[in-house]
Amino acid sequence: MGTDAVVLGAGTAGMVAALRLAAAGASVLVLAEGEGGLPLAPAQIDVLGYRPQLILDPLGELGGFLESRPDHPYRLIEAEEVGASLEWFLELSAPLGYTGSPHLNRLQPTALGALRPTCLVPETMAAGDLSGGGSVLVVGLRGFRDFHAPLLAENLSLAHPPSGAEVRARSVEVSLLGDPRDLRPQLLARRLEERPVLAELGREIRSRLEQEELVGMPAVLGLERSHEAWQRLQELVGRPVFEIPTPPPSQPGQRLQQHLFRALRRLGGEVRLGVRATGYRRAGDRLMAVRVVTAAREVEIPADHFVLATGGIGTGGITAGADGELREEVFGARVSRGGAPDQPLVEYMATQPLDRLGVEVDQEQRPLGAGGEPLFQNLWAAGAALAGAEPWREKSGEGISLATGYRAARLAGGARA
Amino acid sequence: MNALDTDVLVIGGGSTGAGVAWDSALRGLHVTLVDRQDFATGTSGRFHGLLHSGGRYAVKDPGSARECAAENRILRQVAADCLEDTGGLFVSTPEDDLEYADRFLAAARAAGMEIEEVPVGVALRDEPRLNPKIRRAFRVQDGSIDSWKMISALLRGAQAHGAKVLPYHKVVKVIRQGDRVEGAVMEDQRTGEEVRVNAGCVVNAAGAWSGQVAQLAGCEVGVRPGKGVMVAINHRLARAVLNRCHLPSDGDIIVPVRTVSVIGTTDHPVADPDDTECSPEEVHQMIEAGELLVPGFKESRALRVWSGSRPLLPKTEGAAGAGDREVSRSHTVLDHGARDGLEGLVTIAGGKFTTLRLMAEDTVDVVVRKLGRGAECRTRTEVLPGSESHHFYWIGNRQQEAESDPPDDPLICECELVSQHDLDTVVARRPNWRLDDIRRALRVGMGPCQGGFCAFRVAGMLHQEGRYGRAEANSALREFVQERWKGVKVISWGAQARQTRLDRWIFEGVYDLEHLPE
Repeated sequence: MGTDAVVLGAGTAGMVAALRLAAAGASVLVLAEGEGGLPLAPAQIDVLGYRPQLILDPLGELGGFLESRPDHPYRLIEAEEVGASLEWFLELSAPLGYTGSPHLNRLQPTALGALRPTCLVPETMAAGDLSGGGSVLVVGLRGFRDFHAPLLAENLSLAHPPSGAEVRARSVEVSLLGDPRDLRPQLLARRLEERPVLAELGREIRSRLEQEELVGMPAVLGLERSHEAWQRLQELVGRPVFEIPTPPPSQPGQRLQQHLFRALRRLGGEVRLGVRATGYRRAGDRLMAVRVVTAAREVEIPADHFVLATGGIGTGGITAGADGELREEVFGARVSRGGAPDQPLVEYMATQPLDRLGVEVDQEQRPLGAGGEPLFQNLWAAGAALAGAEPWREKSGEGISLATGYRAARLAGGARA
Repeated sequence: MNALDTDVLVIGGGSTGAGVAWDSALRGLHVTLVDRQDFATGTSGRFHGLLHSGGRYAVKDPGSARECAAENRILRQVAADCLEDTGGLFVSTPEDDLEYADRFLAAARAAGMEIEEVPVGVALRDEPRLNPKIRRAFRVQDGSIDSWKMISALLRGAQAHGAKVLPYHKVVKVIRQGDRVEGAVMEDQRTGEEVRVNAGCVVNAAGAWSGQVAQLAGCEVGVRPGKGVMVAINHRLARAVLNRCHLPSDGDIIVPVRTVSVIGTTDHPVADPDDTECSPEEVHQMIEAGELLVPGFKESRALRVWSGSRPLLPKTEGAAGAGDREVSRSHTVLDHGARDGLEGLVTIAGGKFTTLRLMAEDTVDVVVRKLGRGAECRTRTEVLPGSESHHFYWIGNRQQEAESDPPDDPLICECELVSQHDLDTVVARRPNWRLDDIRRALRVGMGPCQGGFCAFRVAGMLHQEGRYGRAEANSALREFVQERWKGVKVISWGAQARQTRLDRWIFEGVYDLEHLPE
């Protein structure tokens, strides 16, 4: 029994493509060398946040944005399809309570207290939209290194949402019962799934809470049972509680990853991690199989359709040599700087040479070879592998991954029919 | 304006100035040392970390070689905690002249170096990554120096003997009374306040900047800044310092220092010693050169690049010994009284880190003569604070310390094993720490992540403890990120390019540092 589709890469783009293909009835195999970017990601779904001015309606402003950035991956997709992919994601991620509208950015606090535009968030972050102002009690956990409530609260107090509404914030610090060595995000998340620990935290917060305050805390409210932990804490304090993403490893990112992996398994798909793609076999203009190394041997995995979602230089999909050579690792697809400069700029907060790096594709998202022709008729690229975006500065990463992963599956499905 | 009286005012808080402060304080003189920035931010904090055996100067600059060999022995006795006893190898690669090796051996012996030729097989057994095509190998007493630790120890030692040290105090005026220098006015770079220091003698120990300081006093010192580029590699590629056995040139030495290996260096004259930009070409030149000593060097993970300005002294300034790479690496004490008719000012010019003790001794001898008081030099035998046990630093020391830390003392920098307690101890030493000063004191942000994870932690903790205000914490973080970028931006390949992407994800994606309030 052969595989219909092989997806390389287990990040957002790869999982979206795999899920769409599987939902359409294809047998799907996802292969990834690492774990994908999701366990590191804040798990907020950015669509477009800055152009470089703040954007409030990401879908509505997509056209205007593309006028100044004609090489951007969003050029490949109609706004309707971007919207459709987001609506589909909202439905798919209902168990995590994702919420939001593709036409309205939310402004959520970061771990440093900046107010950051993003589009869809899980239920555990939903109350953190401060577009309309609000009073926040920022709760720090004593000894947790990756969250500093006083600095966050002081910065947040200076935030000015465009609505003109006021944001007020103050901080408290609470100590958790138990072993101080547990103060790493993954261990904290496990501890906060225990009812006595959560009850103690709830009591502590409640005793310091003032009326009308929202409660913001580091995103460590459980892993497998985050819904229960978050809901229970809200009951205990009697006010809305929201999570604020912390640096990697990210609990919300791991929750989303687990959810997507399970959803794929339910559809009969499979995710294999720890598998490195090293080469391929072609026949004419078709890709017949990828060669992978797993358990110290090389095997060939044939399929009808392939999706390249291995990401850019940050995840190893593309590598740079000391001699300056840029290489897409599996197929040797043509790599482009996406209009970024050749030489580094002195200012860190500027577009740097590697910022927009990715593979070049045709209008159908097919990676190009050296001659500018599609490498194969049945290979599509999606997500951070595509050249031209600056996902973190413009806050666009997940939107690109969702939309291009969604479209790659459609294009592959069309080719199949 | 605040005013202080002191016997000796030392301008410059690098290895030379710190050495002069330690030497003077031990002789019973009251010392005040100032630097325009933090200590060890100039050339001393920007060198490859080599404790010279003398081998690099043996053939071309025998005077310097002799000095290095002697000072190396003394430093091992008095400053063990700041040194690693790595040993060193000089190897003839296929591109090196074998006849040079004979001259090298003879010159090294003449300079009083401990040296032995070892069979190539033995060298390769000890250093498996060494180029297997080497044809001769010589074992010498090279080592590596932790410059920040050394300067910190010298200054703490001087302070214990009454010295006053003032970082971030920039000399804005040298006070002259006719043909006499009587002190200087410093501006506190953080508060803008001025401080006047009246001194019996002023020592210009500003290294590559000593020409600028001399100008303030109205005289000329012909020091020429020579820029050297270095690259740190994220592994110990060798146990010992590896040198090519040939006339010193670019990229011919790899020094294992703490968790990294440093390859150096280039040598370009620059007009401004503050010119520390490294071009991609210079960096690639280093990386390529490394291949000759360690094949596969290019594939290693480069962590960071930086450059420093050597204080090169043209022979016209009367430096003893022959020139190394055109100008001498030896030092000269310029008595401006005898030289320019300007009393009360002494410049210590040229030199190198390994001979800092001798440079200080020679300088303070002149100062003592001028002041008419002060005891004999004691630095040959006086052990520096921290080195009392005479144990050399060893790469496992940090791990050992971290393992004995109490379990509730969290690590704030995993790369360099820095705990919260380490941070608290250091910041208690003085007020007004910048993140970059803390980096020099503790090495936070110097490992593979280059501050991606720890910079935020340190800024947040210092804010929480009330040491930083909100705006200060934000700007400290921005400044630190910008400073780290300087050293990684030209490393656009391999694992470090990937790391740079992760750091950008954290700073821009997770924190949105770009849109943080001022």
